[in-house]
Amino acid sequence: MSEIISKAGLRELAKEWIAQGKVVAGPVQTKPGLVMYAKLASADEIVWEGFVRPANSVKEFVFPRHELLCTYKMEGNRVELANDGAEIPAQILLAVRPCDAAAFPILDHVFNWDCRDELYNRRREATTVIALACESHDESCFCTSVGLSPQAERGSDVMLFDLGEEYEVRSLTDKGRALFAGKAQPSERTAPTYMGPDPRFNPEQVKQFVDGQFTSPYWQEATLACLGCGACAYNCPTCHCFDIVDEGNSQHGKRVRNWDSCQFGQFTLHASGHNPRPDQGSRQRQRVLHKFSIYPEKFGEILCTGCGNCTRNCPEGQGMLTLLTGIEHA
Amino acid sequence: MPDIYTPDLMEVVNVRKQTPDVKSVRIQFQNKARASQFDFRVGQFGIFSAFGSGESTFNICSSSNWKDSLEFCFRKVGRVTEALWRVEEGDTIGFRGPYGNGYPVEKWEGKNLIFLGGGIAMPPIRCAVWYALENREKYGNITVVYGARTVADLVYVDELAEWAKRDRVRVIQCVDPGGQTSDWKGEVGFVPTVFERAKVAAENSVALVIGPPIMIKNTLPVLEKLGMGPDSIYTSLENRMKCGVGKCGRCNAGPVYVCKEGPVFTMEQLQKLPQDY
Repeated sequence: MSEIISKAGLRELAKEWIAQGKVVAGPVQTKPGLVMYAKLASADEIVWEGFVRPANSVKEFVFPRHELLCTYKMEGNRVELANDGAEIPAQILLAVRPCDAAAFPILDHVFNWDCRDELYNRRREATTVIALACESHDESCFCTSVGLSPQAERGSDVMLFDLGEEYEVRSLTDKGRALFAGKAQPSERTAPTYMGPDPRFNPEQVKQFVDGQFTSPYWQEATLACLGCGACAYNCPTCHCFDIVDEGNSQHGKRVRNWDSCQFGQFTLHASGHNPRPDQGSRQRQRVLHKFSIYPEKFGEILCTGCGNCTRNCPEGQGMLTLLTGIEHA
Repeated sequence: MPDIYTPDLMEVVNVRKQTPDVKSVRIQFQNKARASQFDFRVGQFGIFSAFGSGESTFNICSSSNWKDSLEFCFRKVGRVTEALWRVEEGDTIGFRGPYGNGYPVEKWEGKNLIFLGGGIAMPPIRCAVWYALENREKYGNITVVYGARTVADLVYVDELAEWAKRDRVRVIQCVDPGGQTSDWKGEVGFVPTVFERAKVAAENSVALVIGPPIMIKNTLPVLEKLGMGPDSIYTSLENRMKCGVGKCGRCNAGPVYVCKEGPVFTMEQLQKLPQDY
């Protein structure tokens, strides 16, 4: 037995959540033709249909692009440090794409192995993920190549399926059930299966190639057009590399972490001037290596959900898919 | 909230100018309870910070037997090291660590130790030399070959002289051709050639080789000729790091996070890794 909620009912529910002081975020049209995940000022802002997926990823609600680690204050030669003790409000990520939701359990590994990253975990624990199953895909989508699908439940607390006037509601966790308890009605109706894109490459073959062909000219040749802008990483749901820097002066300021990207030349530059990855070829290879070999070996999962944002946001129209599908012919 | 990125506050207790652009700094925990819990292995590293300028990664170059303070040594080359250069006794800096695996000093027991260092690579060798000297009965002969570009670029020269006086220790200092002064008593030449000329007996030995990539590259064949296998030659990688705890995604060499599984590797381990360091 599944449950349904009317579309109007869900909008009312979202209004309730916002009124309760919860942060609610979802796809918003930020300018004509551009849909981004953003915090909702009102439940009416959310865009439910008419686009494939938002241009950014939803990770920034759990792993912000700029985050305070601590503040420092100098008095003479003494220093005082303070952490950000601010409460993280409960937040609901609504109408999230399954390829965004699936990124959270993948990211949980790196932020919890060996030692816990509290900054990540406190936001993660305050977050409930309500995914909306996809009903369309474009030529950049490749979730089915990395073991996911337009209806994958991974990482979601609740999955919604569009039934026309209603949504089918599948509550998957206690967190999800709590939000919809008494709000959704039992129903016999379930959504039809949507298969999504045909698989475009074999991730096992990618791993074999990047492990075995580390010095292949393919990496240089296939990435000649890469500008090193990092748009692929910044809009990726699973890219999580960061930098730690001080902002302030010698009297007071803050230590923060900012998103970083393996596509930037200074990412691995040594103080001596030596750079183990001196060109875009080696940097793009690193991105493939991390996602399809290092991460699966360490944590048992591919660090990619097939969302295709790397290609959609690439000023050269490249991205992961171009590089990965090319391997077959390399 | 306790968090893995907030540093300990350290008081600077001693600053020594080693060369025109290298300083060593000794620091102590301001929190005495933290100081009594703190322990590390020689070969591990820390992340040191000048507030307002940021963090930088250096080896902890004091011996793990020295409980009252710890030391690091750096060359002035960038924003953080420029700020650390201005630090004086009594100032406060930040420290996170210890991180990384450290040297397998237990495994080295009963062996002769060969230390080969170039330039600013002396500090990560220095901690191991002192550790071995403080546990003298556990180790065989100790050979140190240390080279720098010029006489003025050698660091910890007083300690090199001190080690040379010890029993079963041989210290060879060298400078690059043209870097010698008229009163220079050491060798002239690059570390690999000077080491080869020294005809060190290499049986039952481990070697720790740290320095610029070109020095390491040219030293390996000499060690091989002496019959040393890649499992008995160690080095410490210097991949750029930010977090130190396997999260920030920066320091990997192939499948290995250098900050967690390194920075100390045998040549045998490195031969299996892609050239990503």
